[in-house]
Amino acid sequence: MRLRLIPAAAALVLLAACGAAPAPSAAGEPRSGGDLIWAVETEPLTLNPHQYAQAKARLLVWNSFEALFTHDERGDYVPWLATGIESDGRTYTIRLRTDVTFHDGERFDAAAVKANFDLLLSDGYNPALRAVQLRNLTSVDVVDPATVRLNLSRPDVLIRDFLATPQAAQVSPRSIKNAKNLKAGGTDVVGTGPFILDSYTAGQQVVYRRNPDYRWAPATAAHTGPAYLDTVTYRFLKESSVRVGALTSGQVRVAEGVPATDEPLITANPGLRLDRSLNSGSAYTYYLNVGNPPFDDVRVRQAFREAVDVGAVLDSVYRGTATRAWSVVSPSSRFYDRTLEGTYGGDAAKANALLDAAGWTGRDAEGYRTRDGRRLTLRLVQNAPFVRDRRDVLAQAVQAAVKQSAGIHLDVRLVDQGTATEALDTGQYEVFDNSRADTDAGAALNLLLHSQGAISRTHLDSPELDALLDRAQATPDTAERLRIYQEVQRYVVRDQAAALPLYAPQDQIAASTTVGGIGFEPTAGVPASAYDVWIGA
Amino acid sequence: MLRRLGAGLVALWAAATAAYLALLLAPGDVVDRIIGDGADTPEIRAQIVREWQLDRPEAVRYLDYLWRLLHGDLGTSYILQRPVADVLGEQIPPTLQLALPAGALGVALAVLAAVASAGDRRPWLRRVLSTAELTIVSTPSFLIGIVLLTAFSFRLGLFPVAGDAGPAALVLPAITLALPIAGLLGQVLRDGLDRALAEPFVVTARARGLRDRAVLARHALRHALLPAITLAGWQFGLLLGSAVIVESVFGRPGVGRVTLDAVTSSDMPVVLAVVILAAAVHVALNTLADLAYLIVDPRLRRPA
Repeated sequence: MRLRLIPAAAALVLLAACGAAPAPSAAGEPRSGGDLIWAVETEPLTLNPHQYAQAKARLLVWNSFEALFTHDERGDYVPWLATGIESDGRTYTIRLRTDVTFHDGERFDAAAVKANFDLLLSDGYNPALRAVQLRNLTSVDVVDPATVRLNLSRPDVLIRDFLATPQAAQVSPRSIKNAKNLKAGGTDVVGTGPFILDSYTAGQQVVYRRNPDYRWAPATAAHTGPAYLDTVTYRFLKESSVRVGALTSGQVRVAEGVPATDEPLITANPGLRLDRSLNSGSAYTYYLNVGNPPFDDVRVRQAFREAVDVGAVLDSVYRGTATRAWSVVSPSSRFYDRTLEGTYGGDAAKANALLDAAGWTGRDAEGYRTRDGRRLTLRLVQNAPFVRDRRDVLAQAVQAAVKQSAGIHLDVRLVDQGTATEALDTGQYEVFDNSRADTDAGAALNLLLHSQGAISRTHLDSPELDALLDRAQATPDTAERLRIYQEVQRYVVRDQAAALPLYAPQDQIAASTTVGGIGFEPTAGVPASAYDVWIGA
Repeated sequence: MLRRLGAGLVALWAAATAAYLALLLAPGDVVDRIIGDGADTPEIRAQIVREWQLDRPEAVRYLDYLWRLLHGDLGTSYILQRPVADVLGEQIPPTLQLALPAGALGVALAVLAAVASAGDRRPWLRRVLSTAELTIVSTPSFLIGIVLLTAFSFRLGLFPVAGDAGPAALVLPAITLALPIAGLLGQVLRDGLDRALAEPFVVTARARGLRDRAVLARHALRHALLPAITLAGWQFGLLLGSAVIVESVFGRPGVGRVTLDAVTSSDMPVVLAVVILAAAVHVALNTLADLAYLIVDPRLRRPA
């Protein structure tokens, strides 16, 4: 099987025709110059893109680093530091740009790409990446200075998605050899991006300055040549009220991560505007552990879902700003199965009938259902460091809903990471909550639903499901993958009722109307880098 | 003095050991904590065990930990992948920059408030100040910080919320940190002053014709200071705890924020180092407080 080579020029024409430029704003025409201060919620644990693990750090990564490919609006791959790719299933031959230079003056070429991959495959550098995303990559060859070849042990189309992730961003070979703390990153770990990391003050801010030599923006960008801004400073402000206050008082011009409760402060202010974008990957979902009673009975799983009116719960917690999810796959993903919409949930009478049928007919003093004297209890273990979007409050709302409508006791435990991991590893839970922001939803489904997946918490352990997921990973044809992933979603959500999808995570950016070019990364749905951003006159 | 130093070292060793044991007994094993929310496969586990030498017996690892500690080696952060000494070394100066002015301001406010309202000269001021102190002490620093920010930064635009704006950016966080200290210390000082003013020596001083202010400043304050010094030493030790909140509200660098991140992500080497640092600060402050006793109360200087 052969993938067609995508010439960069053709992609450019295609995108220009679609109109990739952002809508005009009060900021006027793009102009060069200015220093932007941008308040962000999350401080990166590392500035080395290879070690990237926080979805919220992505907007920083792409300022100074670039990958071989990126995504367009439709989820297709667009050349970035590469010019094209071809594959026979087992090998991927990638042609590279020849006009790119790292910030430290090193040339970007096939040797540099090989050095990056060799580093990723080396011992102790990023074991998680090596064991999951690069599991099928055996070696990388330099064919000529502008061509590399990836050799796989078996067909794996998700490697293409990897080539467009921050972890596959290209770091200068000199950094790889000489950086003081390579894994932590810093001003001596450099890439090829439109901005150069100028300084990093842990706990306070990271400052980028324009790379004046930048000439190789991907076709998805709104302009070419160097970035507009002289510098961009990302200030870490953990508290949302502080971020919003800093924005409304003009101390910062852009703030990401605006909670629903603060949105009126932005929308009521004519000098500010608010943009939202749904993340790709998997939706925020309660995965039900079918390995434990009472969820070993499909009727109880169905009853749990019927007992919650998800729409009403979301409205009360997120005040109408949340997008309901009907599948484990995010509605903004190309692999989303629309036919699941409206097929389940929010029917208290049905929930009660199902529980009666499953034998949970008794009631205890507090009004919870019982069977053989035991209360119908479901344990939800939330890992405190990963709770965002007020998911703890959402859990309380679901808890109240299932108690009231069907007498189910949802026991919500907000615990530290060690306790959570132990509970999850030893099966001391019935409900596991998770969302992932992968650009290709297949990556999320492999981790969550495959019996060998790293966070497979449903314990469905179905050879049929594994076979579907494996087949999708080896199939280059997108239409065929869509068909398979729809089958996966129907199996897990409709047939097995092993998941209660809740909402599609989104990112918000609030900004002064004097700032133009603010936007989200296509496909990923997270805030984009500052490359296309300008400050109006 | 030598005995004090010895006692200090024992305290440090006890703190280091207690922290080590606590982390050892915490739920989930070390590998789980390092993996966190990441991918979890047998290969990754084996790799982590190799990298951190987790396959050796606990006792050996503990002794090795103490040995490295003696050599000033604090280890490498699991999460940040950098030497812990570097991580903390960067964060200690900003915390000191905040804590020292905050501590000084807290003490100054407390002394002012107590001296102004001790005794029964101005009952109205006494009521106002003690109510204010009580309110501040029972308000979380988080809320104090947000209120100060909203009023003086967001509304009036007098001070920046954070950043490299120099001393101006330090004012609000320092006040946030100073207020609870002033609140508690002020109450203790006023009680001490009240007690001192009722002592016979005050009557004697007054009989010599000293005015109220002089009696307060020269005689009563000296007596009232002793319990306040102990309390101040203890409060300064707790500054680290309040700094966690103040640093994250104001987006400031500092040890507090690093500690919070390390605890939530179970970054053991960093947590251990912070515990040792906190213990060292406590030992140092207690020693300073004892020395201050000697200065304030000449009777203690006599050999026992």
